Amino acid sequence: MTLAVREGLDRVRELNRNRSQRVRELKTRNQKVIGYFNIYPPLEMLTALDLVPYGMLGDMNEPITKADTYLPTVVCPFLRSLLDLGLKGRYSFLDGIVMAHGCEVGEKISHIWNIYLNPPYSHFIDLPHTTHAAAQEQFKELLKDFKKTLESFTGKEMTEKRLREAIKLHNEQRALVKELYELRKLDPPLISGSDTTRVLIAITGLPVEEGNELLAQVISEIKRRKDTPSKKSARLLVWGSIIDNTALIDMIEGIGANVVMDDTNLGSRAYFPLVELTEDPLDGLAHRYLVELKSPRTFRPPFIQNKKKDYMADLRNRFSYLGEYAREWRVNGVVLQVIRYCDSHSYEVPGLRDYLNSIGLPNIYLEHDYSAAALAQLKTRTQAFLEIIG
Amino acid sequence: MSEEKKRAITRLKTMYPLRALVDGMYERAVEASREGKPVAWCMVNWWGGDVILRALDVACVYPEDYGAVCAAFGAAQSYLARCDSDGFPTHMCGYARNCLGYASQMKELGKIPPGAPLVGMPKPTLLLGSGYFCDTRFKWFQALGRYLDAPMWVLEMPHPGVRESRLEGVHDHNIAFLVNELKEFADFLQELLDKRIDWDKLDDLVNDTIEMNRVWHEVNELRKARPCPMHARDFWSSMPASLYMAADPKETAELYHNMYDEVKGMIDNHIGAVADEKYRMAFAELPPWHSLKFFDQLAERNWNFVIESWAYHPPKPIDLSHVKDPLERIARLTYQYFSGYFEDAYKTGDWWGYFAHPYLELCRDYQCDGIVLHPLLTCRTATNHLMVLQDQLMKHLKIPSLVVEGDIVDLKLFDPADALRKAESFEETMNHYKRVRREAGMAW
Repeated sequence: MTLAVREGLDRVRELNRNRSQRVRELKTRNQKVIGYFNIYPPLEMLTALDLVPYGMLGDMNEPITKADTYLPTVVCPFLRSLLDLGLKGRYSFLDGIVMAHGCEVGEKISHIWNIYLNPPYSHFIDLPHTTHAAAQEQFKELLKDFKKTLESFTGKEMTEKRLREAIKLHNEQRALVKELYELRKLDPPLISGSDTTRVLIAITGLPVEEGNELLAQVISEIKRRKDTPSKKSARLLVWGSIIDNTALIDMIEGIGANVVMDDTNLGSRAYFPLVELTEDPLDGLAHRYLVELKSPRTFRPPFIQNKKKDYMADLRNRFSYLGEYAREWRVNGVVLQVIRYCDSHSYEVPGLRDYLNSIGLPNIYLEHDYSAAALAQLKTRTQAFLEIIG
Repeated sequence: MSEEKKRAITRLKTMYPLRALVDGMYERAVEASREGKPVAWCMVNWWGGDVILRALDVACVYPEDYGAVCAAFGAAQSYLARCDSDGFPTHMCGYARNCLGYASQMKELGKIPPGAPLVGMPKPTLLLGSGYFCDTRFKWFQALGRYLDAPMWVLEMPHPGVRESRLEGVHDHNIAFLVNELKEFADFLQELLDKRIDWDKLDDLVNDTIEMNRVWHEVNELRKARPCPMHARDFWSSMPASLYMAADPKETAELYHNMYDEVKGMIDNHIGAVADEKYRMAFAELPPWHSLKFFDQLAERNWNFVIESWAYHPPKPIDLSHVKDPLERIARLTYQYFSGYFEDAYKTGDWWGYFAHPYLELCRDYQCDGIVLHPLLTCRTATNHLMVLQDQLMKHLKIPSLVVEGDIVDLKLFDPADALRKAESFEETMNHYKRVRREAGMAW
């Protein structure tokens, strides 16, 4: 079989070995590739101008040797890894990057990236931190600014028609990812957590149309295949910082659990909300990316009209979607995993545990430093947790 | 009788009333709480939120400042331990962990924990978080919901110190964003407190705030003198009066006026804060509040800390007399704070991110021989730009850096003896680069 004709999960495995393979091919045909590294840049706006969005990931297996010159060690090791890879030339094929204020350190890395890597195109979106009316208006204005710099860079106009078409394509991808996740509701799930992660890693390195094609192939193949994961008593949801490598999920699934659902930036969090096709497409994009994406980095004021805060009501407002996931995916345990120094997620931990305890969902908190070697220490604790939930 | 040992740093007499004003903030809040008046716990919000709260007679305390207070009083460790035992990760912000531990104890006891430094912080009526600078400054308050039933607002602010903020139209929509956000906050407060804003009072407060910051800026401009008459220790003792709006801004402005007069008098008489000023130093970012005597030991070696991060300084003065709407006036002052220190970057297009770049201007204008970088093991905000700063200061100004790791609250993370040993050898480095700068034609 040649590289060109690989399909479905074979293609997924190939892209996991060499994520940039396809975009490098596209560059030989004068297509421009723009990197991004959190879930907040509206990728539709890149697609609308024939730019290929490329999800930039870290590498848990690559020692960080260059980034520490420009970034202290007391910041998120995923982001340090990302910068390290950039400094080592791993992302030199990119024609530019778009960054959004997903978290504070990510924002700083955006600037550091510009100083030391000086990409041909870069744009920083100063994403607001709340869903206030003023913040939504501001975010729409910021998207107009982004549109201007993209148009200037490409020399093309981003018409409403092109943007609508791009939104449809990305919504299609979101629907396909949701369909893939539906296959995990069965017991046993038709696809493991590790394979799901591999699929998501693969599609973030492809143009959206090709990602959609690959997802359709994978879904069809999974429905047909006989070698499904085995039934296990523990059906887990993994919540927390980005997981861009299968090592953690492999560890959990290797000791007697199925990871059937997630709430992380590479997983459901990035895909489940759709963009509404509003009269002005920027309205739909602004609403989806600021209001609909549920991540700890955005503050949702729940009870403005109330004079007293009700803690449990606040927790339900912030986390009830996880309770719904647990019911739909028949989850009986939750792993809260946080990459060390990830402040946005760290502050959530006691509150989220209070919520999960209130609905009777056993949970465990794992903090790790984004290195495969350190996961061995977490294995024993996870095994003990699995024994508790039976 | 032995002669009393002369202090290595000459402290400003006018600093003490300012420090007392800040300490008194806690007493005023506790008193307000006893009288049944509203109390807010606020993050630094660069005056927009402060003036609205004051116009509604809400007493404010600032848990960021209280973190520094607890550290300075040696009281933080028990709050940190309480926070850790409640399940919060230990790598989180020291200020936040201190406050979460404090609130946890307060909830358990039903009152201000006995032994709380100064008079403690009373139970709040509301929480005012901020979206500017760091994620912690709203995530921390959100996490306080575990212990407090106070509703919360997060005041939004843009981050304009970047290239994108110079695109056409951005300045205007950023100002509109700030104004609209203040209006939403004002509506929230009026509903919460069931009280209307006194707009005349607000107008006066805004004017007084602008004046307070102007005078405070002028005080710091005087520190360019050789020898520098005002040490960073006096800056850190005096800054909360402005940064946290500890009291009525008119009263604060008067105290800054007095400080201006004292500092000017010292310049006229060639008096420096440190005798025989040999090394003019910058400091980035927040100091080890629990170990400030470390700076006295450095002063004994003739190190004078003449400037600190712009982030704790007032905005550069700007004429806002033509702006009628007080909310727009305060928004523009806040925006000046966010953008006014980046004029060099705007001109040259040489961007280092909004935190680091202003040091170039400060270190040049204050003629620094070196900079002490203080990476905080629990604070990303005050740390993540320091390596870039080190690299760029050397590249542009041949100013060397001394890196001394520590923490703002947790004294276990700071080793002053080791830092002093490093400082001794760093003097050779500074001497070398002084020669290098002179050979390169620089003024100092």
